[in-house]
Amino acid sequence: MEILAQLIVSGIALGMIYAVIAFGYQLTFATSSTLNFGQGEALMLGALVGLSLVGYMNYWLMIPLVLIFGAMQGVFVERVAVLPALKTKSEFGWIMTTISLAIIFKNVAENIWGRDDLTFPSPLPTSPLQFFGIRVLPMEILVVFGALAIMLAVEIFNRKSIYGKAVVATSNDRDAAGLMGINTGMVITFSYALSSMTAAFAGVLVAPLTLTGATMGVVLGLKAFAVAIIGGLNSGMGVIVGGLLLGIAETTTGYYISTGYKDVPGLFLLLLVLAIKPAGMFGKSVIKKV
Amino acid sequence: MLEIQNLHAAYGKVEVLHGISLEVPKGKVVTLIGSNGAGKTTTMRAISGMIKPASGRLSLNGIDITGMSSNKIARSGLAHSPEGRRVFATLSVTDNLLLGAFPRLTFGRPRGDVEGDLKRIFDLFPRLKERENQLAGTLSGGEQQMLAMGRALMLNPDVLLLDEPSMGLAPLLVEEVFRIIRELKSRGITMLLVEQFAAAALNVADYGYVLENGHISVHGPAEQLKNDPAVREAYLGAAH
Amino acid sequence: MSWINKISIVLAIIVAAVLPTIWPNPYYVHLMVIIGIYAILLLGLDIVVGYVGEVSLGHAALFGIGSYTAGVLHFQLAVPFLLAVPASIVVTAFFGALLALPALRVNGPYLAMVTLAFGTIIQILINEMTFLTNGPLGLSIRKPIWFGHQITGADYYYIVLAALVLTLFVVQRILKSHIGRAFEALHDSPIATDCMGVSVYGYKVYAFVLSAGIAGLAGSLFTYSEEYISPNTYNFELTILFLLAVIMGGRKTRIGPMLGAIIIVMLPNVLSDIELFRTISTGIAVFTVAYAVYAVTTRQGTVRQMLLPLLVTLVLAASGYFMENITEHRLTIFGVMILFVVYYLPNGIMGFLRRIVLKYRPQWIHRHEIVAELGDDAHVWSVPDHPVNASGYLLEAKNILMQFGGLKALNEVNLQITKGTVHGLIGPNGSGKSTMMNVLTGIYKPTAGKIEFNRKNITGASPSSIAAAGIARTFQNVQLFGEMTAIENVLVGLHHTYRHSLLDAVFHTPRCRKEKNAARLRAASLLHFVGLSDLANEEARNLPYGKQRLLEIARALALNPSLLLLDEPAAGLTAPDIKELIAMINKIREHGLTVILIEHHMDVVMSICDTVTVLDFGQKIAEGTAAEVQSDEKVIEAYLGGSVEAA
Repeated sequence: MEILAQLIVSGIALGMIYAVIAFGYQLTFATSSTLNFGQGEALMLGALVGLSLVGYMNYWLMIPLVLIFGAMQGVFVERVAVLPALKTKSEFGWIMTTISLAIIFKNVAENIWGRDDLTFPSPLPTSPLQFFGIRVLPMEILVVFGALAIMLAVEIFNRKSIYGKAVVATSNDRDAAGLMGINTGMVITFSYALSSMTAAFAGVLVAPLTLTGATMGVVLGLKAFAVAIIGGLNSGMGVIVGGLLLGIAETTTGYYISTGYKDVPGLFLLLLVLAIKPAGMFGKSVIKKV
Repeated sequence: MLEIQNLHAAYGKVEVLHGISLEVPKGKVVTLIGSNGAGKTTTMRAISGMIKPASGRLSLNGIDITGMSSNKIARSGLAHSPEGRRVFATLSVTDNLLLGAFPRLTFGRPRGDVEGDLKRIFDLFPRLKERENQLAGTLSGGEQQMLAMGRALMLNPDVLLLDEPSMGLAPLLVEEVFRIIRELKSRGITMLLVEQFAAAALNVADYGYVLENGHISVHGPAEQLKNDPAVREAYLGAAH
Repeated sequence: MSWINKISIVLAIIVAAVLPTIWPNPYYVHLMVIIGIYAILLLGLDIVVGYVGEVSLGHAALFGIGSYTAGVLHFQLAVPFLLAVPASIVVTAFFGALLALPALRVNGPYLAMVTLAFGTIIQILINEMTFLTNGPLGLSIRKPIWFGHQITGADYYYIVLAALVLTLFVVQRILKSHIGRAFEALHDSPIATDCMGVSVYGYKVYAFVLSAGIAGLAGSLFTYSEEYISPNTYNFELTILFLLAVIMGGRKTRIGPMLGAIIIVMLPNVLSDIELFRTISTGIAVFTVAYAVYAVTTRQGTVRQMLLPLLVTLVLAASGYFMENITEHRLTIFGVMILFVVYYLPNGIMGFLRRIVLKYRPQWIHRHEIVAELGDDAHVWSVPDHPVNASGYLLEAKNILMQFGGLKALNEVNLQITKGTVHGLIGPNGSGKSTMMNVLTGIYKPTAGKIEFNRKNITGASPSSIAAAGIARTFQNVQLFGEMTAIENVLVGLHHTYRHSLLDAVFHTPRCRKEKNAARLRAASLLHFVGLSDLANEEARNLPYGKQRLLEIARALALNPSLLLLDEPAAGLTAPDIKELIAMINKIREHGLTVILIEHHMDVVMSICDTVTVLDFGQKIAEGTAAEVQSDEKVIEAYLGGSVEAA
């Protein structure tokens, strides 16, 4: 029983990381119905840039710089891969171009930081705290609160500021938002900046807990997508629940079956949700008008 | 105020508008009538930049707006209440109205008295005031139409385009919509109105254009069109 | 197929057959074998990517399943080559179905991600199921021994060549049959495809399973070619390579995949040789500069458009001279190539060549098969597939409620359609007429209520099964298959008359030929009926708006419906055209069809409708003969809005 509780606690921290990346998918999907297939790579770049920066400054000072870097990377992805495809209304186009940017980023990262996994120095003590016999790393607590904080910050921005409302309006109806004088192209670029920024932030949060390297993004990005689908691409609550579900499923599978299979339940759950309720557990299905 | 010369527009390879010219003078209400599929909504969309015209020239206040994106045209002072209302379903009524004033709250239009205008919109549409915190998606069809019109007015536009404001509304509500259009006219707001209820539209308008298969077939002062036998036959209901 | 084509195909096969004698070096022969194997897989992948228009990131995994099926069968059970290969095809097709059944309920980016997830799972399973696959250590297999002769690399080349020719033949035949046409149709307009009784979901799964089977064939051939397989081969990079090959070669062509295969097999070789890379990248840069200068001077492109490709190719060429080792940057180069192809060669090399030929020798390019049949009056009509056994009402909709959020688009509407009549459905814009159409044809599932058609309950049935039961429709916003010719559009409507199987199509059996000819004659006759005979071989998207609407009627009639739903057929027609339309609808009624007509032109409604139902604000406000309805106070009020007293 204690082991299970321990696994659940570790699963929660992991799940919140998935939730943040999935949240990033939602941001771009809402405004432009596009997804960045390189979301995992945005996380990876954030973590690696952060790693290089902590050599010169402390962890907390590094975070704002990584956020800025993430936003810029998102703008780059949107301008190079998404904007031209949106102009030609080619879904095939943006899927292929975001994938190709993802493999370019990965390859470039391999050539800059090498192919081996690196360790990211933890900003917090690495000795676990004990709660009722369950051990929790201080970094895991930081992950949970950091993830909640950034999602909350974006949510407050969307609800309170006029620019945030413009983002919501664009997600609702892009053409109508244009009629309000909202530059919807800028809103989409902005949503990519925000999306990659949250991913980069997730990167520096998760890096001290795992190994950091060029290949860390691929599987994280894929599993976060599973979370976005399981929770629903338009439900904020959904990604948190989906993330936790997947995180816990993963730690328990890893312990009770084999670590080799730990990625399987999430992906399997993805296939299952799509087969039963494609809009996700918390998503609303949209009726297409003819 | 708004001038359209020889406007052509197409969806894909199929041309829908074959050279439309019309004019909306300051302070006047002009209506565009015609059967379904004649190209009324396409004309409206081409004016407000929702689709790019294939050729022709559009000018607003003497400024050339041809080929501009819709957000720039809105910031130049043209508000468009689109067909099908298109309110922002997951935002509250107040937020919808505030977004109508987006260029005034950010940049592009003088700010003026946004809060006062919001209050005046609520005076004009008391139903909206009652529901100011409700999500727009949960409003009834008639209330959504009021919201769409109110949202367009929040721009303080130089020209207001109203596309089928009576669509899908119960008769009582249709009357209410026309009452409001008359009220706006009395306040001197320049309007271009597209309507399926041609008789009602010609009653409120100063001038009318009849659109047929992408061409303007007849145009003239509203009074004159109302008595034109061909127009009566085709659009005012043959039975009457 | 013209004799020029036949001769060039035979020539190509002969050239391919003598290649190993020109380059007997085993290394080259092996490269050619790999090209052949990849070409097989890509021909299959093109069915999904090119024809159905979905991105599959799971084909490397399917390839791996094929490989491992053959490998495991050989390694664990010593199954002979000639049994292992078909078994691989079947097993991979099965896995394709396993993936497609849930995954194809979604499309676009979802599907891409799901196939990626599938690929990841398969790779993990191959790695972890050591008892079967020997895990990361991989499996060793020998090429087969036939009649005491050990098959050599050169012999194997001919086996792969035979498999390639066979695959080409089969794929070509399938794609040119009604099945291929269904694939193209569902890509063009899924809704219209469903409403023609062709299940979009079913055919997508079909395409995916076919494609998977072909991947299985390629995989098993790969196993015997390499004689050693390990899980790492079937990774994400291979998937990306496959996609690059398909789009770079050119989608929806047979030559494209082969070109693509040559490119992706040769590419790593080019990239491992820095000198060769420098030569080629410099060559490309020179070509691009020359093309840019040509394009700008002939005003085909602006300087701004040319700037980015120029920059990219120049940087690529320059980088060749800075880099010591190019293999490290292989993936970056693949990525840049994909970007380049997506933006500047969206139709691939074949599309590019085709465009050039089209400019100078347009008569050489036949995008569509020309159908020369001329229709006649005798072949327009046919009996419905399902006989009408209802008497009285053919269709009865009871208490239909359709709610969108807070909006009741239809509020407790009852509709009874008497057999053999033309039933008008009128009302102001937004009154719920089109919603009613969509409910009746299964596009919307009603929130509440019941629909009975021909004594069968069809509430909640799928659009394709409702269409198959005998309800055909046209669309208010024209939903034609734009890239197909007019006659091909009608042939999609005749899909249900093709009863022959995939094998019949592959072997062109007499049954297949008979059905094909009958369908063509029927399609031509239907076009003749709506007056479009002279436009039969014109692409639908190039027809004028009014003609498009008529084509939709012909396509709907092809379904042999007992009930025809016409959604504003007169919109966009001129006055004389409207007269013809009225005559046409009268003829349709004379042939025993029941018609529901939504129309705004009152003269049309009044002259042909037996019964008229008036909807307003989602509710039925009147019903009766045309004359009754026209003098109904409520109707007048609804139609003239608030203007009655004001006017």
